[in-house]
Amino acid sequence: MDNVIECHNLTHYYGNKLVFENLNFRIKEGSILGLLGKNGTGKTTVFNILNGFLHPTKGQCFIWGEDSQYLSDMSKLRIGFLIEGHIQYAFMNIQQIERFYRGFYPRWKSASFWELISKLDISPRQRISTMSCGQRSQVALGLILAQDPDLLILDDFSMGLDPGYRRLFVDYLREYAKSENKTIFTTSHIIQDMERLIDDVLIIGSNNVLVQSTLNEFLDNFNRFDFELEESKTELKKDAILVNIERVKNKVELYTFSSENEIYKYLADKNVSVKNFKRVSMALEDAFIGLTGKY
Amino acid sequence: MWRSVFYKEWLKIRWFILLYALVGFVVIVYIYLKLKHSFMFLGAKNVWGAILFQSIVYFKVFRFIPLIGGTIIAFTQYLPEVLNKRIKLSFHLPLNENKILLLMQAFGALSLFISFLVFLILFGIIGLYFLPEQIVLDSLITIFPWILAGFSSYFIVSFVVLEPMWIYRFFYFLNGAFFISIHFASIITASYRPIILSLTLMSILLSSALLFSGYRFRKGESWYGKN
Repeated sequence: MDNVIECHNLTHYYGNKLVFENLNFRIKEGSILGLLGKNGTGKTTVFNILNGFLHPTKGQCFIWGEDSQYLSDMSKLRIGFLIEGHIQYAFMNIQQIERFYRGFYPRWKSASFWELISKLDISPRQRISTMSCGQRSQVALGLILAQDPDLLILDDFSMGLDPGYRRLFVDYLREYAKSENKTIFTTSHIIQDMERLIDDVLIIGSNNVLVQSTLNEFLDNFNRFDFELEESKTELKKDAILVNIERVKNKVELYTFSSENEIYKYLADKNVSVKNFKRVSMALEDAFIGLTGKY
Repeated sequence: MWRSVFYKEWLKIRWFILLYALVGFVVIVYIYLKLKHSFMFLGAKNVWGAILFQSIVYFKVFRFIPLIGGTIIAFTQYLPEVLNKRIKLSFHLPLNENKILLLMQAFGALSLFISFLVFLILFGIIGLYFLPEQIVLDSLITIFPWILAGFSSYFIVSFVVLEPMWIYRFFYFLNGAFFISIHFASIITASYRPIILSLTLMSILLSSALLFSGYRFRKGESWYGKN
C-alpha cells in the first residue's frame, strides 16, 4: 500500500523555542491516523506544514510524493482541509458558500451537502457569522465531504459539536473512509472520538514522538498497574521502564510498556514491596494521560 | 475558478462599493451645485477668470474621494481574510496561491476602475455644461493623480493588511503614506502633467506587492511565532 503522507526529520522552532525535533511519520492510503499531543506540542504546526502554510526549520513532508510546500493544484484538489475552529467565510450564507466552493471541485457532491444541511434547523440564507459554533462546524464539515477529497486533514474536527452529532459524525466518517478508501489525518481534543475513529496513532510529547503504532498495538502493549507501597518512604522514579508514575500517598498508578511479570521482577530487583497489585485496563484517553502525564 | 474568486470578492465588497459610488455621485453633484451657486452670485465670467488665472480648484472636495475608496475596498477585501487567518482557505483552493491573490487584487482594482471611470465621466459631462472644454480637460488632468492615489492606496493597504507582522505593517504603512502624500503635494491645476506617467507606472508596480505579503504568510512569518 502506498504512503499518502510522509514526513522526514521534521524539526521546527518558533524563535528559539523548539516545538519538535526529527519527527518522522507516514500515513498509508486508506488508513486513519490520529495525532495526539497535549496543548503546545505542535499538532497545528504539523498541519500547517502539511498544508504549506509554514516552512519547517528542517525536514520535509510529502503528499503523494510532492513536497507539501509546493503542492500542485491537482493535489490540492484531492485534499480536504478543516482548519482548527471550523473557520469558514463568515460573511457568506450557506447558499453562497456552497456556490463558491462548487466552482473549484469537479467531483462536488451538492446533494450530500444539502442533505447534511437539511438536518440543521437553519435557513440556506442564514449567514455563517450568525450561526452557533456547532452549526458552523457542521457547515464546514459538510463542505469538506461535498468536496469528496481522497485525503482529509481535519484539525480538531470535534470542536463545538454536541455529543450526539459527534458520535454520528465519527461513525459516518469512518464508514465513509473505509468504503471509499479515503485517507484521514486528524486530531481532536476529545480522545473518545479518536478511539472510535482511528486505525493508527501518533502521540507527540514535548519535542519528540512518544508513540507511533496501530491503535490496537498501543492499547495492547501500554499497561497500567495500580498498587500500594508497603513503605511510604519508598521512592519510584521514571526511567526507561517506568514511563509515568502518578502517586497519591502510598497509592501508585504505574504506566509502562513492560509486562506484568517484568514489572514484578523490576520492583523486586529494586526491593520495593507492594500490595494490592493489579493490572487496570485502559481506554485510549487513559492511556494517553498515562503516557503524557496529567500536567 | 476565477468566477468563484470574483464571486467571493463581490460578496465582500458589494455594499461598500455601492455606498462608495453613491457618496462619489453626491460629491460630484455638490461640486457643480456649488459652482452654479457661485455663477449666480459672482457671475460666470468672474468664476471662469478665477479658475483660469488664479488656479482656483473648484472641485477640491473631491481630492480624497479616490484615496478613501481605495482604502475602504482594500480593508473590506483583506480584513476578513486575515481575521482568524481565513486566507488559509483561499490558499488551500486548487489554484496557485499567487494566481488567487492576483485575481483578488484584479477584482478590487477593476471595481475601483469602474467607480473612478463613472466619476470621471459624470464629472466631465456635467462640467461641460458649465465650463469650456479646456477647463474641464485641465480639471480631469488635475484629478488624475488623485485617482492614481486611489489605486496606490488600494495596493498599499492590501499589502499592509495581509502582512503577518505588525512591525512590518507599520514600516510599510510609513513608506506607503509618504508615497501617497506625493500625489497631494500640489493643488495647482494640471501641475502633475509631467509626472503622470511615472506615477502611473509606480501604481502598476505596487500592484504586485501583495504577492510578497502572501509569500511571507505562507512561509509562516508571524510576530507571535505560531502561525
